[in-house]
Amino acid sequence: MAATSTNPALQALNVRKSFVSGRLESTVLHDLTLDVRAGELTLIAGPSGCGKSTLLAILSGLQPADAGQVRALGHELGGMSMRALEHFRLQHTGFVFQGFNLFPALSALEQVELPLSYMGLAKSAARRRAVESLEEVGLGPRMQLLPAELSGGEKQRVAIARALAKQPELLFADEPTSALDAANGQIVIDILHRIARNHGTTVLCVSHDPRLVGHADRVLAMEDGRILSDHVPTPPAEPKAKEPSA
Amino acid sequence: MVALARKTLVHEWRRFLPAILAVGFASLLQLLQAALVLGIFGSASVYITGSSADLWAGYPGTQSVNLGRPISEDVAMRLRMDPDVTKVEPFRWVDADWRGPRDTGGVSVFVSGIDTSSDAMMFSKALAPALRARLNEPGAVIVDKADLDSLGVNIGDTAAINGQRVRVVGVSSGLRALGGVNIVSSLETARVLDVAPEDAGMMTYFVAKLRDPHKARQIARRLSGSNTFGPYTVWTAKAFARRSQLYWMLDTGAGAGVLFLAGIVFLVGAVITSQTLIAAVIGSIREYATLNALGVGRGALRKVIMEQAFWVGLLGIVCSIVIGIVLLIIARNRSVPMEMHPLTAGACLALSMALAIVSGLAAMRSLRRADPASLLR
Repeated sequence: MAATSTNPALQALNVRKSFVSGRLESTVLHDLTLDVRAGELTLIAGPSGCGKSTLLAILSGLQPADAGQVRALGHELGGMSMRALEHFRLQHTGFVFQGFNLFPALSALEQVELPLSYMGLAKSAARRRAVESLEEVGLGPRMQLLPAELSGGEKQRVAIARALAKQPELLFADEPTSALDAANGQIVIDILHRIARNHGTTVLCVSHDPRLVGHADRVLAMEDGRILSDHVPTPPAEPKAKEPSA
Repeated sequence: MVALARKTLVHEWRRFLPAILAVGFASLLQLLQAALVLGIFGSASVYITGSSADLWAGYPGTQSVNLGRPISEDVAMRLRMDPDVTKVEPFRWVDADWRGPRDTGGVSVFVSGIDTSSDAMMFSKALAPALRARLNEPGAVIVDKADLDSLGVNIGDTAAINGQRVRVVGVSSGLRALGGVNIVSSLETARVLDVAPEDAGMMTYFVAKLRDPHKARQIARRLSGSNTFGPYTVWTAKAFARRSQLYWMLDTGAGAGVLFLAGIVFLVGAVITSQTLIAAVIGSIREYATLNALGVGRGALRKVIMEQAFWVGLLGIVCSIVIGIVLLIIARNRSVPMEMHPLTAGACLALSMALAIVSGLAAMRSLRRADPASLLR
């Protein structure tokens, strides 16, 4: 597992973040230090309110840290302007959220093409990549449908294809399965796992879904803004698991 | 590029409909208001625009056609002496009092005494040669068909103007006046009806035709130079028509009224349109935030909003043009004075588009709520 890369894709060094609500200041992250290795599916697990989503937002450049350093793919995110951060995210990152956040007016294919067109890809190249990604998540036959015509699981797969088609080095997923039933959740887990395996993408996933644990290359347990444990899980017992992950 | 703005507009047309209607109604109101103002105040200069003269000579400082004072008949000689003038024709204006056969009380009328020959310049565009020929009969007058009721007459009836007997020999259309009723007669009849003693041997206007109408401005300036034939000024037909219209527009306060109403319409339209566009942006705020998370810049997202505003404006304008044309046709058929010039129509439509764009700018501000970090909870 450690053979993939020695350089961490993401690094947090003494990161601190607190929020002020009214007169109360609550610290969400306490001087947190963390390396996320490239090409792995890393899972951050913990109860709600433990700061895992905030950590994801800071590591992905969506939110600045109050103190400490954040490095992503060798770039220091702390010193970047908003525009530079947008450019960094456009070039290197993909996101999958708990809500699917699809435009009601666009077909599955157009949802995936949309960010690609902003990356400066030619129309034909964007179309080809979008089709490939949708086929990879198993939506090849349904790519002309609007979100209203898709099930929840299919919508989440469109959202994954939208992130995947950008061919990002970093893929961030926030509770990707919590709005889905067991079967669809399993499909989404498998896809995320495969993306890390086949594309060498660094996948950082935040979830309290215990089903994900068995599929992760590494599990970080968080509580009260600190990382409590860092371990490699035992291979899952499910028959669906791919054999090279053993 | 995926046409996000257009596809959303089509897919969520119900959401955008209030904005399209607001722009459409604002645009329609501006158009109709402009058409009415142009139509009503255009009739202040119907004597000029309905005639084919290039130059008008009248009393110095005259602010509107209906305010003419007598000038010496010698002015005609001065005009004829100019080598560029090919034809000169007198025009007598008489403010008079009308008594109809029916019980209409006194009606204030404006008698236009014109040359009745078939190639005369006065009202050449408003009266057909056959109709003008009928004016040669002493005491014959023509009235606008829209004024028959207020004058209480029909064709063939007799009435009295300034105590003199006249007979209605025909009707015209498009000769309605502001502040009174237009009556057309021959120069001879008008002279008889003109009872003011100081008008004897005088004329209200002389109109002239030029060899080259393009030189009108230059010749008008040249002819206005001297006072040897008594006081007079020469205007080009265009300048005198505008002068008359502006006088009425400012004198009645209608100009200020129009601007005030235009401002109100703009404001109300912009409030409705911007609120609708803001609601549309808020409705898709999570999707916009997701695009921003994926690295699509704020500038690009703003462009989507502005594109939507542009399409809303365009659709609204198209609606207003279609309805406006229908209403203009109906108004024409019912003798409602309405008129539209391409430039005015363009200005009204540009104002409506500006309304949509301003609303788009207002809606753009709500994009600030598209914070991708807010999706992570």
